[in-house]
Amino acid sequence: MKKLLTLCVMAVTFVVTVHAQEKGSVLIKNATVITVTNGDLENTDVLIRDGVIENIGKDLNAPRGVETVDATGKFVMPGIIDAHSHLNGVDINEARNPVTAEVTMEESVDPNEVGIYHALAGGATTIHLMHGSANVIGGQGETLKLRYGTTQDGMRFEGAKRTIKFALGENPTRVHGQGNGIQPRTRMGVEQVVRNHFDEALDYKRKREAYLEVKAEYDRRGRGTPPVPVAENLRYEVLNDIIEGEIYVHCHSYRADEILMLMRVFNDYGIKNYTFQHANEAFKVAPELAKNGAMTSVFSDWWAYKFEVYYSTAYNASILNANGVINSINSDNNQLLRTLNHEAAKVVRYGNTTVNDAIKMITLHPAMQLGIDDYVGSIEEGKHGDVVVWSGHPLSIYSIAEMTFVDGKKYFDRSNDPDDMRIDINPGTDFEDGANFREIVTRRDEDACLQDAFILMQNNTQN
Amino acid sequence: MKKLNIFVVAIALLFGLTATTQAQITEKPEYGKFAITGATIHTVTNETIEDGVILIEGEKIAYVGNNIRVTGDYKRIDATGKHVYPGFIDGWTGLGLVEISAVPVTVDDAEVGQFNPNMYAFTAFNPHSAAIPVTRVSGVTTVLAKPRSGSISGKAAVMDLWGYSPDSMAVKKSGALVMNLPSSTGGGWWDNRSEEEIKKQYDRQIKEINDFISKARFYDNMMKAYESDPSGKTKPDHDPRMEAMREVLSGDVPVIITANSEQEILDAIEWAGQQEGMNFILAGANEGWRVADEIAEAGMGVLTTTLYTPSRDYDNYQRPYQNPGLMAEAGVKVAIVSDDTENSRNTTFEAGYAAAYGMGTEEALKAVTINPAEMFGVADKIGSLEEGKQANLFISDGDPFEPLTNIEQVFIKGFKIPMQSRHSQLYDEFLDRDAVNK
Amino acid sequence: MRKTFLITALLFLGMGVQQVFAQTTPAHALKNVTIHNADGSVTESATIVWRNGVIEAVGTNLTIPFDAYEIDGGDSLHVYPGFIDGYSIWGSPELPRNLPDLDDPGNPPYDRAGIQPERNPSELLTEDKSFEAAIKAGFTTAALYPNGYMLPGSVEIFYLSDDHNSVELLSDKVGMAGSFDTAPGGWGSGAYPSTLMGVMAKFRQVMFDATALQQHIKYYSQNPEMPAPDRSRVLEALFPVINNEVPLYFEVDQKEHIERLFKLQDEFGFDLVIVSGKEAYAKADELKRRNIPVLASVDFTDAPEWYKDMKKEEESDDSDSDETNEEISEEEQAYRDKQLEAWKLEVANIKSLMDAGVQVGYASAGLELKDLSGKLETLLEESGMSEQNLVQVLTGNTADILGISNTHGSIAKGKNASFSVFDKQMSEEKAKVLHNITNGIIHELIGE
Repeated sequence: MKKLLTLCVMAVTFVVTVHAQEKGSVLIKNATVITVTNGDLENTDVLIRDGVIENIGKDLNAPRGVETVDATGKFVMPGIIDAHSHLNGVDINEARNPVTAEVTMEESVDPNEVGIYHALAGGATTIHLMHGSANVIGGQGETLKLRYGTTQDGMRFEGAKRTIKFALGENPTRVHGQGNGIQPRTRMGVEQVVRNHFDEALDYKRKREAYLEVKAEYDRRGRGTPPVPVAENLRYEVLNDIIEGEIYVHCHSYRADEILMLMRVFNDYGIKNYTFQHANEAFKVAPELAKNGAMTSVFSDWWAYKFEVYYSTAYNASILNANGVINSINSDNNQLLRTLNHEAAKVVRYGNTTVNDAIKMITLHPAMQLGIDDYVGSIEEGKHGDVVVWSGHPLSIYSIAEMTFVDGKKYFDRSNDPDDMRIDINPGTDFEDGANFREIVTRRDEDACLQDAFILMQNNTQN
Repeated sequence: MKKLNIFVVAIALLFGLTATTQAQITEKPEYGKFAITGATIHTVTNETIEDGVILIEGEKIAYVGNNIRVTGDYKRIDATGKHVYPGFIDGWTGLGLVEISAVPVTVDDAEVGQFNPNMYAFTAFNPHSAAIPVTRVSGVTTVLAKPRSGSISGKAAVMDLWGYSPDSMAVKKSGALVMNLPSSTGGGWWDNRSEEEIKKQYDRQIKEINDFISKARFYDNMMKAYESDPSGKTKPDHDPRMEAMREVLSGDVPVIITANSEQEILDAIEWAGQQEGMNFILAGANEGWRVADEIAEAGMGVLTTTLYTPSRDYDNYQRPYQNPGLMAEAGVKVAIVSDDTENSRNTTFEAGYAAAYGMGTEEALKAVTINPAEMFGVADKIGSLEEGKQANLFISDGDPFEPLTNIEQVFIKGFKIPMQSRHSQLYDEFLDRDAVNK
Repeated sequence: MRKTFLITALLFLGMGVQQVFAQTTPAHALKNVTIHNADGSVTESATIVWRNGVIEAVGTNLTIPFDAYEIDGGDSLHVYPGFIDGYSIWGSPELPRNLPDLDDPGNPPYDRAGIQPERNPSELLTEDKSFEAAIKAGFTTAALYPNGYMLPGSVEIFYLSDDHNSVELLSDKVGMAGSFDTAPGGWGSGAYPSTLMGVMAKFRQVMFDATALQQHIKYYSQNPEMPAPDRSRVLEALFPVINNEVPLYFEVDQKEHIERLFKLQDEFGFDLVIVSGKEAYAKADELKRRNIPVLASVDFTDAPEWYKDMKKEEESDDSDSDETNEEISEEEQAYRDKQLEAWKLEVANIKSLMDAGVQVGYASAGLELKDLSGKLETLLEESGMSEQNLVQVLTGNTADILGISNTHGSIAKGKNASFSVFDKQMSEEKAKVLHNITNGIIHELIGE
């Protein structure tokens, strides 16, 4: 009876927590529309109704009650999608174990971070909030729409694929091997940590399923020999979900050899949907990446800040693109997140990638890597109304985001942009209080991935 | 004049020969007489010239204008429809001193000790850093390579980005003395000192700095007295640290103080105001816009950036982008810098943001050329396109602040720089990696 | 004059009680006092009669039993039901410091992960000056939990006394304490879970493991031929939570944390009491819908200094006030407006919850008792709460939430004799507790 009651309570809760997102309507008139998938359309209108792009065309009329934005001389582009961000994580690294597949950034979302607004002002509408790179198999990621002012649940991108962070190379070997004296200390160890855990997970699955089967039988018949219970194991459940293709892997990696290693491992376990993050040396194995259908998400020009990125190049993205690898440009940094359009522009400068391909790298391609390209990443009828009005061509340095819409709702408007946009205010902090001073993030801040884990290494780098 | 040029060529060739025994990062540059024709010439200090001509002879600019017949002994570079700019100066970088920041043995910008005026960035500047070609092909031709540790970090050096030795690259060995003042405010949530402790610590550290400077003044006066008339005096002991302070105390070499928050800047202004005869520049100045009038009144130049997140929770999102423009508007001489090492090349985009957010292209251009040149006392050599100045310049197919613009040719000290770097070479090798098998 | 007499009488009786009580169990009668009950009713010239820790009679015009010591309140004293602290750390031993480094911090023993549900306050109680302070502040009853991390131990209810040796257990293992605290330890000695998301995951895993163990124990009892379960005091201590026999008392403040807790509740279906809940107002409707009570902290942020100054100025407002007005920028003024708004929301937390129909009790949850009266004063001034609201929260509501309302939380016949005697109404300035009666025992507080 008690159990039944609990079930009822749960059912009720479920219905209520799936609450409707706030959606808006707007008609943007007379802009140059960068559709991404269908060229640039001049003097074109975009009608968004109830959060969805309903019509793209000329001389559209605003339905009753729908606001019109005159964008004459301006550009409309899909909202920028950042496939690698730590913008509003409560914690970033659960760094005390080399494998933490069971933790999820879904439970580490701070919806009140004012940086969300700053990102909107830079034309971003979706981020992939990732676990850090301390662990070989880190936590699951969460794809968020930048709906500033809503709850952590309200920020979730409904329908996005589940993702998880992997990390190869220096970071996990430093944190765990050098830091704690446990495997992995080397790139050899990294491979074995992955393989061992996949094998353990498969063993678990076999035993757990056998237990549940015998249990059902025993409970039904009420006699025979009861099974020894096998407890549900969150970590192994997630690892099995990866093997079964329910979770897209996003793997922090730099060197060409470790990228090849993981592709070998994934081929052995039949894992297909994955993106190499950072991947500064991906260009060296572009043919292999293309052959495996692996994707990449790279910096526009970061290099040389650590040894494993010393032999790399700002031409990485262009080489990958030319070799047919689906590549995105990410920020991994709260400042770059504000200027990702110009990070994409650098791809044109370094290697002559076309302007439209460069724009794809911050719109459609990251959408594909997050499994949300059915909803966002281009301006097409039926896709979400996540669009940005730019004062000029978005790849120009002089171009400024003027309005940012998510689901047709305006979250940023440069003409109505108060200074103080905080929504979570600590009344114990006075105006001049140091607590209001933020740690400034410059475009050169490569440690975000190791947030929370950094102390572990500082503690040990002397060794 | 000509003789000197030949001498330079000889030196360059000599160094070139020795360098070929090492791993060569790029091909050799060309050197001699060049005529760049048909370009829009952005002189920065004078009018912009349409369809102009620049003549380069040896290391110098021999002519800038649009009223000259180019003789046959000049190698012609047709730049019709293109633009010529003075080479950009990144006035705040670790370039040459830091190769890989995460590998401590390659980090040479932070000496041990609180007071190191006798540490010269010039000495540790590695001409063969892989980041140097990467930087110069993007139009940054000169940098201020700076040390960073302690209260007095050492001397930053103004360095051209072509050459085989620090000696051949130095525009000015003693570009500036770098100082870090203590902070009189707490460091934010991670700082758990009490207000009293902070104040005490600040006062103690300031006193240490003042004591050091007093000692240096005493030393300087004593030496001056001795040098002006040594007769009958015992020669005082040589003190390298004190000696290194003399060119600073006289105001010949400026002092760069790092200060970012409003309070740090005000503290720096107050402290600097108490130092007689010295020249001061602020580095950082993230919150310079809050006290722009005070900085202007103090006559301090500023080295600053734009691409960072707002420094306070309640700041407007675009304040960092507007900051250089707001300071310039108040009358502050502003240089825009990278505050970076391997990506010193992004000085361009730091300035581009300032240009887009209120400063305007023209002022922003000054902020990466003539302004830093003036601050570091090298405006007679670099920072604008003028006859007699060093031929540090580049040809582009458009506004260099635009990421879509290509920097097509760079000249440094008259050398026509091969437009190659590790980055472009890896591109060439890997764009079609398996072509050899096909 | 009358008062002096009364105090002397009480002093005498108070001393006598201890000796006589054990043998003949005489009654006590407190007469001519004003009773402020939890339901808001006020009875003047009332009398309370109690014996053996139980109230025998309460009301006006009572016949006082022949064997009762009479205490005359002289119509000047105010009696309130004893305050109940719904979640307090008093008497809990200090946590160990300087933990040794672990060989495998990813797989720490339970205690190093912060999982110690097998610990009970009744087995751990240690000396704590707070007990004396609690008596002085009018607390007669408290639910205690042991200091710890994610699952620090059980919640148990005690009759308070001014010394930990005489603090007596009222009800054991009424709940399980919980929080989102990460595993203890510093740089080298820390362990998994070291983050909020880690704690969420670890909580789930412990619940899964306990569920499996319970199943195993059950199967084994049915079939002793199967392999025996590995018994675990830690996991077994969680069975009552899994079986919905006791609620989880979970200490959270942030609204996002409360949402995370809802998520865990949805997954495991446990009963829940929210402790502290400083931002619970933001989730009031959901709390109401889920029927989750809140043992609220009153440890809200101090008013901004500038606001206090402003109020002081207003109070002493004279013609010379304009010179003290400092010039502030528009930016700072806008900042202050937001700051004050946020502060008022925080102070109004309890009121907002009550208005939304959420059951709100009181928990010190770390608040030091010396700060309590100031906080209560602010509540009365700034949150729109009445004294009656406060009394309700501090007594009846907390008793309800703790499940002891049949014996505690009000002054009525048959209830436990736990109440306190104030020299004036508690909401008046400088009101103080003269006597505190816990479980019928009189604690004499005069002259201290």
